[in-house]
Amino acid sequence: MFSEKDLESLADLVRLELSEEEKKSLLRDFKKILAYFEELKSVDTDGVSPMSGGTFETNVFREDGSEDAKLPAEKSVGQFPEKESGFLKVPPVFN
Amino acid sequence: MNLSDLTIRKFNESLLRREFSAAEAVKEYFGRIEEKEEEIGAYLTLLKESALSQASEVDAAISKGKKIPPLAGVPLAVKDVISIEGVRTTAASKILENYISSYDAAVIGKLKENQAVFLGKTNLDEFAMGASTENSAFKKTKNPHDLTRVPGGSSGGSAAAVAADMALAALGSDTNGSIRQPASFCGVVGLKPTYGAVSRHGLLALGSSLDQIGPFAKTVEDAAIIFKAISGRDEFDPTSVAYGSRSATLDLDEVRNLRIGIPKEYFTEGIEKTVGDGLEEAMKKFKNLKIKFEEISLPHTKYSISVYYIILPAEASTNLARYDGIRYARIPSVSGSSTLKEIYLKNRSLGFGPEPKRRILFGAFVLSAGYYDAYYAKAQKVRSLIKWDFDKAFEKVDVIFTPTTPTTAFKFGEKANDPLAMYLADAFTSPSSLSGLPAISIPVKKYEIGSGELPVGFQLIGRYFREADILGLGEQYEKLEISN
Repeated sequence: MFSEKDLESLADLVRLELSEEEKKSLLRDFKKILAYFEELKSVDTDGVSPMSGGTFETNVFREDGSEDAKLPAEKSVGQFPEKESGFLKVPPVFN
Repeated sequence: MNLSDLTIRKFNESLLRREFSAAEAVKEYFGRIEEKEEEIGAYLTLLKESALSQASEVDAAISKGKKIPPLAGVPLAVKDVISIEGVRTTAASKILENYISSYDAAVIGKLKENQAVFLGKTNLDEFAMGASTENSAFKKTKNPHDLTRVPGGSSGGSAAAVAADMALAALGSDTNGSIRQPASFCGVVGLKPTYGAVSRHGLLALGSSLDQIGPFAKTVEDAAIIFKAISGRDEFDPTSVAYGSRSATLDLDEVRNLRIGIPKEYFTEGIEKTVGDGLEEAMKKFKNLKIKFEEISLPHTKYSISVYYIILPAEASTNLARYDGIRYARIPSVSGSSTLKEIYLKNRSLGFGPEPKRRILFGAFVLSAGYYDAYYAKAQKVRSLIKWDFDKAFEKVDVIFTPTTPTTAFKFGEKANDPLAMYLADAFTSPSSLSGLPAISIPVKKYEIGSGELPVGFQLIGRYFREADILGLGEQYEKLEISN
């Protein structure tokens, strides 16, 4: 059910290039893992609400307003591989 | 200075009695690290210079007669997914090999306020994905009790560092057992707090609905001291909650009033004999404390691994999207690329190892149209059932007692080529993680390195925000250990 073509299109979406060898082992792993997950099908979940998070906190708000960033700008941009005048530099998005 | 007998409390007393200075302690630990690191491989980055200067400040405060907190001068190791300002944070991945953190994680800020000392950053499975630390892109960490075996994972470096006296205590992160399982394999204490007890601000995110930071220590008391220092509300992590007095532990009378549940689903034929024997030994000791046990059932336990390995990859796939070579460090061989997509593709393909790639792809798959309901939505529903099992059990009992892991530390390579076999190593730590409950792994007894024995740990799972119960029970167990 899960084909090499499916894997290739997923890889493109998540921006990964896969070698032929990687594809082979990933397909094998996926098959095995998906077969294991079949056990979930037998669990009766009718009327069960999904548990989406681990927290009991709801609506954690803060005052809407401006405040100075705690991290100085030069530190925030410090780890950008490419920067210019304190800004992040990226290649053109549209060519 | 006898490092193997040292605990945080003894360390503090020794400092105050001027038996040694904090700087001397740092030097002693670095001496030990120099002697053992090549063999154990616990650390990715060492911070000798800053550790010495942090220690000198503590010594200066003591000589001026200032009051010092219990963690002052205490030499700690930190898992390399927790940010320390100005220090490399690699997540044991090539993709972040050259990344320097620009701020302190909330837990690091709190420990700095408590004047703790950081010896270095420890090895882990790449992006905390694994149960053996074999997935690190940089090195293998060995189990100090048997160098042919893994220390567990993903926080294997932190566990090994504490076990081998290369740090007095350490921080790890636990998403599905990554503190408790290596603690069990290495014969130390490891606490995963309640989801929301400790801020994750500055922790490199793996699974945001699961991740928690917690301590590794040689005693439950030490773990409690660190937990007290790092827990509480933080404005930068909206899932964190105020804690107040809830972190206090219990005395023996209070502990005797606790009812302990034993879930039959955790005591199956799949348990290794050494583990089963160890658990029996622990149970006998608890019974000496006049602790009451009763059998309970957590019927959905067996589905945890399936549920976790659907939910986690989905979350990880999203969290790891940020490592695009644009905003964080770029791996050196990619610098010549011209288009944006080429930078993404090259940086991620060359930067991520096999396990992150597998989970990113798998996570994208379970979230994709056509499969979402069958996998992701289904897993979230079964996650509710797993949590409800615990809700029901905690109507009858206060604490749940289980093995931490089905086996003792396994050999290198034993599961490395079979992802599913590796995933099953989390079988007993996963349900409490999915439910967000606090849980601790405690060694059955003190395991001396060189004795040839492989450590066994038991796990205590508590009610939400009742770390006090599991820590209190653990402390009383430990006292019994010492008095024996």
